[in-house]
Amino acid sequence: MSDSAGDGKLEMKQASKEVKESENVAEKYSAMTVSKNSDMSMGDLSSAFTAVTTHKPVKKHIQFVDDKQEFSKFPTKTGRRSLSRSVSQSSTDSGSSAASYTDSSDDETSPKDKTQVNSKGTSDFCVKDIKQAEFGRREIEIAGQEMSALISLRKRAQGEKPLAGAKIVGCTHITAQTAVLIETLVALGAQCRWTACNIYSTQNEVAAALSEVGVSVFAWKGESEDDFWWCIDRCVNMEGWQPNMILDDGGDLTHWVYKKYPGVFKKIRGIVEESVTGVHRLYQLSKAGKLCVPAMNVNDSVTKQKFDNLYCCRESVLDGLKRTTDVMFGGKQVVVCGYGEVGKGCCAALKALGSIVYITDIDPICALQACMDGFRVVKLNEVIRQIDLIITCTGNKNVVTRDQLDRMKNGCIVCNMGHPNTEIDVASLRTPDLTWERVRSQVDHIIWPDGKRIVLLAEGRLLNLSCSTVPTFVLSITATTLALALIELYNAPEGRYKQDVYLLPKKMDEYVASLHLPTFDAHLTELSDEQAKYLGLNKNGPFKPNYYRY
Amino acid sequence: MSESVADAKLEVKQASKEVKESENVAEKYSAMTVSKNSDINAGEVSAAFTAVPTHKSVKKQIQFANPEEKQEFSKFPTKAGRRSLSRSISQSSTDSYSSAASYTDSSDDETSPRDKSQTNSRGNSDFCVKNIKQAEFGRREIEIAEQDMSALISLRKRAQGEKPLAGSKVVGCTHITAQTAVLIETLVALGAECRWTACNIYSTQNEVAAALSEMGVAVFAWKGESEDDFWWCIDRCVNKEGWQANMILDDGGDLTHWVYKKYPNVFKKIRGIVEESVTGVHRLYQLSKAGKLCVPAMNVNDSVTKQKFDNLYCCRESILDGLKRTTDVMFGGKQVVVCGYGEVGKGCCTALKALGAIVCITEIDPICALQACMDGFRVVKLNEVIRQVDVIITCTGNKNVVIREQLDRMKNGCIVCNMGHSNTEIDVASLRTPELTWERVRSQVDHIIWPDGKRVVLLAEGRLLNLSCSTVPTFVLSITATTQALALIELYNAPEGRYKQDVYLLPKKMDEYVASLHLPTFDAHLTELSDEQAKYLGLNKNGPFKPNYYRY
Repeated sequence: MSDSAGDGKLEMKQASKEVKESENVAEKYSAMTVSKNSDMSMGDLSSAFTAVTTHKPVKKHIQFVDDKQEFSKFPTKTGRRSLSRSVSQSSTDSGSSAASYTDSSDDETSPKDKTQVNSKGTSDFCVKDIKQAEFGRREIEIAGQEMSALISLRKRAQGEKPLAGAKIVGCTHITAQTAVLIETLVALGAQCRWTACNIYSTQNEVAAALSEVGVSVFAWKGESEDDFWWCIDRCVNMEGWQPNMILDDGGDLTHWVYKKYPGVFKKIRGIVEESVTGVHRLYQLSKAGKLCVPAMNVNDSVTKQKFDNLYCCRESVLDGLKRTTDVMFGGKQVVVCGYGEVGKGCCAALKALGSIVYITDIDPICALQACMDGFRVVKLNEVIRQIDLIITCTGNKNVVTRDQLDRMKNGCIVCNMGHPNTEIDVASLRTPDLTWERVRSQVDHIIWPDGKRIVLLAEGRLLNLSCSTVPTFVLSITATTLALALIELYNAPEGRYKQDVYLLPKKMDEYVASLHLPTFDAHLTELSDEQAKYLGLNKNGPFKPNYYRY
Repeated sequence: MSESVADAKLEVKQASKEVKESENVAEKYSAMTVSKNSDINAGEVSAAFTAVPTHKSVKKQIQFANPEEKQEFSKFPTKAGRRSLSRSISQSSTDSYSSAASYTDSSDDETSPRDKSQTNSRGNSDFCVKNIKQAEFGRREIEIAEQDMSALISLRKRAQGEKPLAGSKVVGCTHITAQTAVLIETLVALGAECRWTACNIYSTQNEVAAALSEMGVAVFAWKGESEDDFWWCIDRCVNKEGWQANMILDDGGDLTHWVYKKYPNVFKKIRGIVEESVTGVHRLYQLSKAGKLCVPAMNVNDSVTKQKFDNLYCCRESILDGLKRTTDVMFGGKQVVVCGYGEVGKGCCTALKALGAIVCITEIDPICALQACMDGFRVVKLNEVIRQVDVIITCTGNKNVVIREQLDRMKNGCIVCNMGHSNTEIDVASLRTPELTWERVRSQVDHIIWPDGKRVVLLAEGRLLNLSCSTVPTFVLSITATTQALALIELYNAPEGRYKQDVYLLPKKMDEYVASLHLPTFDAHLTELSDEQAKYLGLNKNGPFKPNYYRY
């Protein structure tokens, strides 16, 4: 096992850019859950993990926000497990009052050592506590309400059972939203075995609820590195059962199967991968000629991209800032670094609230877009002395340097909405002349010798992951895309997909969108036969050429 | 010659979709010109051609927009419909309402320029324009255009020493307007020899053609050419003893077509074709598919910057401008339906929302529909809201989006207009029935009156509102012209083998360069990557900054 872990590290180095970007991303993940009859103590409710960034991923600090406990030995997994920028992977709720966690601290026995049986007498699962199933069921039901697209997919395809005979192994965050996806797959005819792609993100009660209804889940919150691979192995390696589809988030499951059970790939019809990192690893495999089954890249589908970046950030920038600082936006001078999808979202939201927004960008096309949208394009140094708020969303490193932090005015708020936690040079602020004062969870005041204070949010990590929630609706887009990708790959006629990485066909992408329209009571117009002929289109889509930019 | 015209028609049929869409587009083109010492009489000042759409392109009617005149001709060369097929607005602007507009009309001189012998001040007579004496006036036009085309001027300055086009011989076929003149003179400044002709029989600004000829650019074009004149001009442009073109700059594909038919040998020397229109690009792809394309071609129509400006940004402004000029409508609180949420639709909706209109969308594409939802617009079917809307704007590219049955149900005073591709979106033909009365209340504005007295306000007879009733800013044309200039430089200087016999998109780096040349207009200051940052991102410090599939 250590052998393959070593291999994994080697491969990480190859997967240069994305991985490098996110190696140090201190991540926490926990879907928002509404607990009404939680049986846990209040002290555990808002525990959140925050890893201090160091450039060596070996040593990480964890802080419990409430009790400020610090550990210094921490499995190297954290940095690596959820590398993708994809918000569908990661949400938190430190600020959310309705949040709850089923924490493990009240029971020190590892789930590996416990024998549990569900009410049907099955014991082919491994979760924290099967008795939490009922509570988890409620969580799933709540999530289902916001995921009407999946529910309607379930209804539409239930008779047909497009996944009948499919045996899916999955490795994703295990949350109420994922549970809705898994149960949809089951309703469509699939057999599922599931494990977690992140050692912290599992909602124990949801894992229990899934196990209770017969899905084999191997996951709990707070796994060790060793547990993590053990769970994956248990998931794949079952006598008399061989998977024919893989659903992966981050590429660890795929990696494990490649290393340990290459024979399994003879039966696999396809891999569906949703994260940036996982997709990158698949492209590497494909380049090396080692990919022996078709794979579907759902990360880059139009709908998912727009929701993960533009729409989600447009809301979370305001949410995150309000929760942490209670700042009023009207008339404030804001610099947004980077005018990509995330930057466009942030600017739209801030402008709507009356802020004066400046942009910095390196790409002239995006800069020109900013001009045409009515934003001043400046270099950061030109405005650094006068701004009230600075938001980075470039994906780059050292966008805000110590030199610039030194020149900011008193009370300036500094935060990051971009890829990694490298955008703000936070390390440069850890010098003896500056005093750090934690004023709230995720909020630090950094005090200069002359008394000037800078407000640093989430220690430069992603504001939208650390200080605001990801709406279930956004996760619904991802989950629906995943489900359709599985159906497409499983039912594709021999030869449609070769041993390569594919984007989701545009028609499927359009179908994902159309399943979400009823939420808005939106009524799509249909082409008449005559119009379809005139445009040279099929009445049912796809409606746009592949290069269309939306 | 008649043979090749027939050929051209054949090819038009092949170039199915785009051409079909626009076959009936009644087009007028004339760049905005500011005349201070125009010597033409006022009656001709706002003459504009509007062809009534019929499904046979043979018979077209022309109306002089100036309401007093209302002259109508029924014989009209078939060229009109065809010449400017592209949706590209860079091709077409009008100024029927612009007070500062002027035309150098030909009616005061009936001699065809072909029969006149003219010489410029340097004794050169290798050109054919309406009247070389208008050169001075044209020069002023060009100077005015230059003020808004600072990107081209700065390109001129940056590359003047280097002369990247030295030795190039460019034949061009575009609209001949002050903006094009700035482009042509930039090419000349960069070392090119240019011969130019018009891609549209109406769009030429005679005084600009004169000014170019005066400077030694061989221009063959005048406003109001006949079909025969059109091909004669192209031929004169290409066919000159002792001179052979090595670059083609085309708009619509007619020049390329002519060279293919008549002078296939010229292609041996041609290093590349630059094409800016949808139609021309389509024809190139057809050629390429048939294996007949024997030189590299550059499709500048689909470059990011040009697309955004031609559609999103331009329509965002012209929708308000066009509606205000024609109807003086107030937008606040009005219920508006925008059919189609593509780039044009997005632009229209942004502008209308900003003025307080209540905007609904109709869409066929679920992805665009979802975008509309997330942007806060109700997505409806047209029939659901037809009885309550005040304004309908079509921008789908489709046909019969608004049909007679829906027009029947609209409320009194509803404004109907089209911002999309062609004039097929609103079923205007269905309104030409005896029980309905048409009343022209202003140029480009018709009231259609139902027997019960209900009026529907139809703008530009269903043709493109932004072409018929508003102007295209020079800044937008500057984007196109700069893109063309860079495409020519790229193709001319590309090392052997970089481009094969195929149709290429402008390299992203060039696209970015076009954008960067326009940033000084906004006093925008681009941030530069440090070496360390560039390495971290795996990018070159000078771009390209985004992967090809990036959606912007």
